[in-house]
Amino acid sequence: MSSTPAPVQPPSVDPMYPGAPPDLPPAEARSTRGPKNRRNLLAAAPAAAYLVAFLVIPVVVLLAYSVLTAGFFTVTGPLTFDNYKDALQSNLTWELGRNSLIVGGATALISVAIAIPVAYWLRYHAGRWQMPIMFLIALSMFASYLVRIYAWRTILGTHGVLNTVLMDLGIISHPSSLFIFNQTAIVIAMVHISVPYVMLVMFAAFRPIEPRYLEAARDLGGGSLQRWRRVILPLIAGPAISSFIFIFVLASADFVTPQFLGGPGDAMLGLNISQEFTASGNWAAGAALSGIMLVAYGLCFLIAAVGLRLTGLNKIRWTT
Amino acid sequence: MSARLRHHGVAGAVFTALVLIFLLVPLIIVALFSLHSSPSLTFPFKGFSTRWYSEVFGSEDFRESLFNSLKLALATAAFTLVFGTAAAYGVTRSGSRMSGVGVAIFMLPITLPLLFVGIALLIALRRVGIELSLLTILIGHTLIAFPFFFMIARVALERLDPMLEEAAADLGASPWKAFRKVTLPQVFPILLGAAALAFMVSLDEFVVTFFVSGNETTLPLFIFSRLRTTLNPSINVVSTLLMATTFVLFAFAFVMAMWGERKRARRAGNLMDVTE
Repeated sequence: MSSTPAPVQPPSVDPMYPGAPPDLPPAEARSTRGPKNRRNLLAAAPAAAYLVAFLVIPVVVLLAYSVLTAGFFTVTGPLTFDNYKDALQSNLTWELGRNSLIVGGATALISVAIAIPVAYWLRYHAGRWQMPIMFLIALSMFASYLVRIYAWRTILGTHGVLNTVLMDLGIISHPSSLFIFNQTAIVIAMVHISVPYVMLVMFAAFRPIEPRYLEAARDLGGGSLQRWRRVILPLIAGPAISSFIFIFVLASADFVTPQFLGGPGDAMLGLNISQEFTASGNWAAGAALSGIMLVAYGLCFLIAAVGLRLTGLNKIRWTT
Repeated sequence: MSARLRHHGVAGAVFTALVLIFLLVPLIIVALFSLHSSPSLTFPFKGFSTRWYSEVFGSEDFRESLFNSLKLALATAAFTLVFGTAAAYGVTRSGSRMSGVGVAIFMLPITLPLLFVGIALLIALRRVGIELSLLTILIGHTLIAFPFFFMIARVALERLDPMLEEAAADLGASPWKAFRKVTLPQVFPILLGAAALAFMVSLDEFVVTFFVSGNETTLPLFIFSRLRTTLNPSINVVSTLLMATTFVLFAFAFVMAMWGERKRARRAGNLMDVTE
């Protein structure tokens, strides 16, 4: 006679309290005033109110100004779409837009292209150098934005450090003005500002990919190319695309770098907007340009999000 | 490790070294020429002198910018410390779906290019008739520094062992007392480090300040005005002072984060001893 043994129930483990005896009721039932309580959200209310008052509402006001009639340092009724029509019909807008697109795109592309190999090396090869180098990268991230622009101005200028060094080395005989007042100079400074952020993001992306996963791929016959294509790239594509968009938005909206490192033809949309709100005082025109840029950025985010979802890249995660 | 992988390691090391040179050398050059004895900003380096430091510290404009910047940075750090901690606590301890909306709003200032933050704030302040002053700069700086503080505070609070707060609540502590006696002591070093980052963000902030400063001046605005007139080592002096302050504060934040982490690890270790 055979009796089937009663199936052994795995002891229920309370995730909030792994060491608890199994017969204790779960945490949610035990505590009424525990850590998770809806009322606690009230603590976030002052900060939320602050951000709504000084950022969300102001952005709404900015967008509202874009459909009002221009005055000098003000706007008046009636409602109109002329600001948008004027902005979109002006050749200047398209020229500045093209410059913004080039600088933003080049900065984002170069930053991501530099950051991936550095993050890869830091993750798998740096050993005891990893922490000190991360520290230096994070440190350079916090150097002031204006200081960096100034630094590149003194390096790339006609009488700058680069020119004197090249002349001392006998590579050139006269100071060259080719290094400054062009888009390359703007992009160099913008990459200098952006690349530390991307390196930190990409390092975080490599972190969950343990070296033994790559070894497993190699043991299964994956060459170096295949390891990148089938193991690494799908895992880092999400963060890489997000950082590309983030840096593109930051760099293409910049209005200070073109003033100090760009030439007369290198102005960007942000510079025009800043002038409409300071010197020229045409707030409605500036607001319409801002509206166009914000819509364009919104589309960038949307396309990236939809793209990641369609390819399924947003779902790939290591389960540990 | 195969020879192939070691080969990657060497190439990677060389590339990383080049990137570090690219990142750090421009900043080092700025600091070096702040000590130049001549007005020239390029090599040959003619010798060390502190004349530009004397010139800068003798300038009335500079002293005003310095005091304004320090006042703003301290106030920004204090504000973000209080409101940011409360916000991070609210978001991590509510379990409500609304907290996601909160996080999105709190991160908005760094998702949006600062240019738009600056002009939007400018026209909104003008709309309600608030005069531009140090106060309006403070409003802007708090806006920008907030997400940096919030990010760190949120992670710190999320990683705490919920059992401790729960135990405090079970033993009859009010939520405020549980927070003050149990939660806060565990994360205080990290929060202080994050407040130092808020201080740094305020000290270096230029874009939003540019739009809402009115007639007031700060250190970055001082650099900006000199950049448009005379290029000489006095700009390097102010830049170097900003970088040195940032360096000290960053090291402070780093040490605080390490200390906080060790504190957490030790507490977790002690708890394991008790429960086992």
